[in-house]
Amino acid sequence: MGASTLLLTGNIDTIAQMSCNPAIGGQAKGQMVREIDALGGEMAINTDLTAIQFRLLNESKGPAVRSPRAQCDKKAYQFRLKHTLELQKNLQIFQATVTGLIYKNGRVVGCQTNLDIEFMGHTVVVTTGTFLRGLMHVGQNKNEGGRLGDFSAKTLSASLIEAGIELQRLKTGTPPRLLGRSINFTGLQEQKGDAKPTLFAFHDTRDPEDLFHVEQTGERRLGWSPGSEQVSCWMTYTTPASEKIVRDNLHKSAMYSGEIEGIGPRYCPSIEDKFVRFADKPRHLLFLEPEGRSTNEYYINGLSTSLPFDVQLDLVHSIPGLEQAVLLRPAYAVEYDFAPPTQLFPSLESRKAENLFLAGQINGTSGYEEAAAQGLIAGVNAVLKVRGEAPLIIQRHEGYIGVLIDDLVTKGTIEPYRMFTSRAEHRLLFNHGSAELRLIEHSKPHKLLSDSRISNISHKLSRVHYWQNYLENTRSGAGIWAEGIRRDKEIAILPSELNTETPEIREEVLYRVIYAGYLDRELRQVEKLKHVEKIRIPLEINYAAIPGMRRESALKLAQFRPQNLGQASRISGVNPADISILMIQIAAQRRAAEQS
Amino acid sequence: MSFPADTIAALATPVGTAALALIRASGPAASTLVQEIFARAPLPRQAQHADYRDLQGVLIDDVLFTFFANPNSFTGEDSLEISCHGNPFIAQKILADLLARGCRSAEAGEFSKRAFLNGRLDLSQAEAVMDLIHARSDQALAAANQQLRGSLGRHMAELSTLLIKTLAHVEAYIDFPEEDLPTENRQNIDKDIDTLIINTDRLLATSHYGALLRNGIKTVILGEPNAGKSSLLNCLVGRERALVSSEPGTTRDYLEELIIVGPYCLRLIDTAGLNPKPALLEKRGIEKSREQAAEADLFLWVIDATRPRPDLPSEFSQHLTAKNTLVVYNKCDLPVIDPSPLPQPFQCVNISALTITGLTTLQDALAKMASSFQVNVGSEVIAINTRHTQSLEQAKKCLLAAKIKLAENVHSELLSSDLMTALESFAQISGKIDHERILDELFATFCIGK
Ligand SMILES: Cc1cc2nc3c(=O)[nH]c(=O)nc-3n(C[C@H](O)[C@H](O)[C@H](O)COP(=O)(O)OP(=O)(O)OC[C@H]3O[C@@H](n4cnc5c(N)ncnc54)[C@H](O)[C@@H]3O)c2cc1C
Ligand SMILES: Nc1nc2c(ncn2[C@@H]2O[C@H](COP(=O)(O)OP(=O)(O)OP(=O)(O)O)[C@@H](O)[C@H]2O)c(=O)[nH]1
Ligand SMILES: [Mg+2]
Repeated sequence: MGASTLLLTGNIDTIAQMSCNPAIGGQAKGQMVREIDALGGEMAINTDLTAIQFRLLNESKGPAVRSPRAQCDKKAYQFRLKHTLELQKNLQIFQATVTGLIYKNGRVVGCQTNLDIEFMGHTVVVTTGTFLRGLMHVGQNKNEGGRLGDFSAKTLSASLIEAGIELQRLKTGTPPRLLGRSINFTGLQEQKGDAKPTLFAFHDTRDPEDLFHVEQTGERRLGWSPGSEQVSCWMTYTTPASEKIVRDNLHKSAMYSGEIEGIGPRYCPSIEDKFVRFADKPRHLLFLEPEGRSTNEYYINGLSTSLPFDVQLDLVHSIPGLEQAVLLRPAYAVEYDFAPPTQLFPSLESRKAENLFLAGQINGTSGYEEAAAQGLIAGVNAVLKVRGEAPLIIQRHEGYIGVLIDDLVTKGTIEPYRMFTSRAEHRLLFNHGSAELRLIEHSKPHKLLSDSRISNISHKLSRVHYWQNYLENTRSGAGIWAEGIRRDKEIAILPSELNTETPEIREEVLYRVIYAGYLDRELRQVEKLKHVEKIRIPLEINYAAIPGMRRESALKLAQFRPQNLGQASRISGVNPADISILMIQIAAQRRAAEQS
Repeated sequence: MSFPADTIAALATPVGTAALALIRASGPAASTLVQEIFARAPLPRQAQHADYRDLQGVLIDDVLFTFFANPNSFTGEDSLEISCHGNPFIAQKILADLLARGCRSAEAGEFSKRAFLNGRLDLSQAEAVMDLIHARSDQALAAANQQLRGSLGRHMAELSTLLIKTLAHVEAYIDFPEEDLPTENRQNIDKDIDTLIINTDRLLATSHYGALLRNGIKTVILGEPNAGKSSLLNCLVGRERALVSSEPGTTRDYLEELIIVGPYCLRLIDTAGLNPKPALLEKRGIEKSREQAAEADLFLWVIDATRPRPDLPSEFSQHLTAKNTLVVYNKCDLPVIDPSPLPQPFQCVNISALTITGLTTLQDALAKMASSFQVNVGSEVIAINTRHTQSLEQAKKCLLAAKIKLAENVHSELLSSDLMTALESFAQISGKIDHERILDELFATFCIGK
């Protein structure tokens, strides 16, 4: 977008460092990475070029919920991205810890750093992750820091509070890391990557020189290429002995002894939680995942815990294959400040301080993809704000990114928020292959992609439309093509010219044809909702003074301050009748304003 | 401001108060409706006579329709007004057909709301309309809330909870493919869907009762000329509504009035006396009585107790059963003769319409009879309206589709799409259902997470 940007980080070497498992994608997240790629984000291409294992999940559940997942080389991932940033025009990187924000007349105008250097800017995007007053727990042991080995941003919280931003605590955890050569893999079940990997980036619409959307000088890195060997993961299970160790030491766990006040994610329970809450389950599945090609470090997926180190050691040794395992890093839980996201506009700009944008874990989410999606949107909107243009807002029916941000700003969250496909009302519209076609309405006007890629996507879209139309309206012997395809699905005979199109086009066309009935139904529901999304609610509206509105609804609306009627209708506890009343009120106010 | 692209329809006149009922549809589909239903060109502001045939081609009524082109209509949108005979069942049928053709049933005050939003009303009127809409929706709200807080709400909550549980079982396997979950139990899902369908049907069964409650239970007064039918109507209504005279054949056309007995609303219909040898004009009246009788819910058969009882013509008596008929021996203030035995074991009351003796006994008997229309769901009384019916039917359609998908082992994402749509339909009755609840259920049931 050409805006002059400064990136401040406490440690340049940890840019894009994955705190937890170096895996990108998976359910809903995989689709989101493709959306990020469709909006000019770097995550997809970075994953494709540094992944060591690819798997397509949900093969059997249907095309809309199929999602790619990749295990990355942790260091390769972060260093490639660091390099990409270094080469990015208009971007300056500088290592310094931000100690506070500088405000003027209720607006943010810059920040202070630990080096006593002040930086001024039109807009500021804060993405502190788990670092805001980060506190790590291993049993009773506590250390300050946002991540093992990292610092804790201690003063920035006060500066946010000063602007009137409310902060709360959340908690997350990570399992121990093991030395690979101390693991006995014999007898463990192997999990291989897919023979034909599903990549994250849209390579079909990229020109070769477009592989990096940033200008690339210097040497071009060779990425992973199909055929080069993938690395395996391994599966093992907890034993009754593991359960006994956990139960006997429950009182020493930071989480169970009340040391931790933050709320943890339900979808990422600690091993303590699993044994306590699902006592009838005899054993729990664990994955051993390599952290890279050039390291012998392994991650034990499924064994997150805040038990003391000696107990962790016993616990690991009670697991088949890990009897002799050497721990490189302990499991730990981390608590941190987050700013409840209902204090944000859908642009991710703070309602409390103008020109201040928040993105990532600070908004109560968890996960790399969720963070990347917000970072991208907040970044674009920070530039649009400088230019005085309307913000980029992805609607709920346009993609998971839209669902993510809408959920955050209208409903908020009490646990670390993670995307699931079931959060989307219209997920059949969100098949991963259609992301760049769906989002071209946004990528094009804001020039988020290169001109050549935009024109390739437009071409792809017109081919898809052409074939949809052709198949629905042309007879082939016995009947209409589309009907035959819907009947025979995979085994359907296709017009031979369709077979000459790219596999991506073919796949998208077939998806749209086979699912036509469902997609129509979803689109009809979307249409119904659309008009209410367009009705904006004036900022100064006084809900308590609206005649006829139920008090409960008025309170909820005043609390969440929705921007449009669509958002208002999604707030739980606000019923349809109150929405009608609100609609009338808005119209009346507008008319009154027009008349005077 | 942008406007809803959908076309709404509703009865524009209160039910049962006029000889003609007006049904109004407003929205972009209005002109298409004219062409589809009447095969006529939509000429603005011209009342046209035509047959109303439903989607299946069945004749419902001959009607007068007028098309209004935007912006010159009440709402400012393309609109269609249909006048049909004041029989609410005809009006309901036409409305149901409009819904089947893709219209949505309008919410309370929605026509006024659109009119207002389209700038058809000026600011001075706006305040008044706001009050009106508030008053109406407050009433609607009160009524809906009563049901929502009470019986219907509880049933909807039960339905949603079960559906959410079912969805959680489907979603767990979609959203957590990498987890070590127990094998998917599709039989249980099928069982749950069956339960959902049965319970949806139970609620749907109350829809006729709902219509009865709102429009009144149609109660037709029958009997020979001069038996005192009109007098009986007046006596039940409590004022001189119908013309009464000692001339037989006073009432030529039927006439109706809403009355309340006990907790029920009855639509009382006075008819022309059944003269075995009618004059020409009487014949037309009797013809109308017959039409009314054919659609009645209850009958009051009035017999002059001072005279020997004539038999009812068979085209009337065929509708009468012990459950739907109350025999009223009238004029009991005069010397009566021994009644000849009735053709069926009908329940009888003796009254005098003139002196109002026996009125409470009559009312009690009527209320008891009306109560037999009540449909209970479990131990509760529920009566859903047209909008509820529409949503529940949509939900049921989706549940049936989901069952088929399950049987055919189709991709879970499609199964889920049907179930989600059913949930949306439930939500149209009970308000927004947060999808978070599916996740809540899922995390409570399955051990998920790494
Ligand atoms: C222990 C742990 C376990 C996790 N487990 C999971 C999991 O199981 N599943 C999952 O999906 N996700 C997990 N995550 C979450 C995932 O790592 C984050 O959601 C994601 O990385 C958030 O991205 P972010 O950009 O918001 O912040 P981060 O990736 O945390 O990056 C924040 C960056 O900001 C910098 N920074 C912070 N404060 C300042 C300052 N004041 N001045 C300058 N720079 C600053 C830091 O140096 C860092 O580079 C876990 C995270 C942690 C720490
Ligand atoms: N004494 C007495 N006269 C009654 C009673 N009810 C009705 N009448 C009289 O009977 C006559 C006929 O009454 P209506 O009510 O007009 O009878 P109807 O059945 O409506 O007659 P049609 O409309 O002609 O079929 C009138 O003169 C009434 O005053 C009653 O209970 N006692
Ligand atoms: Mg009469």
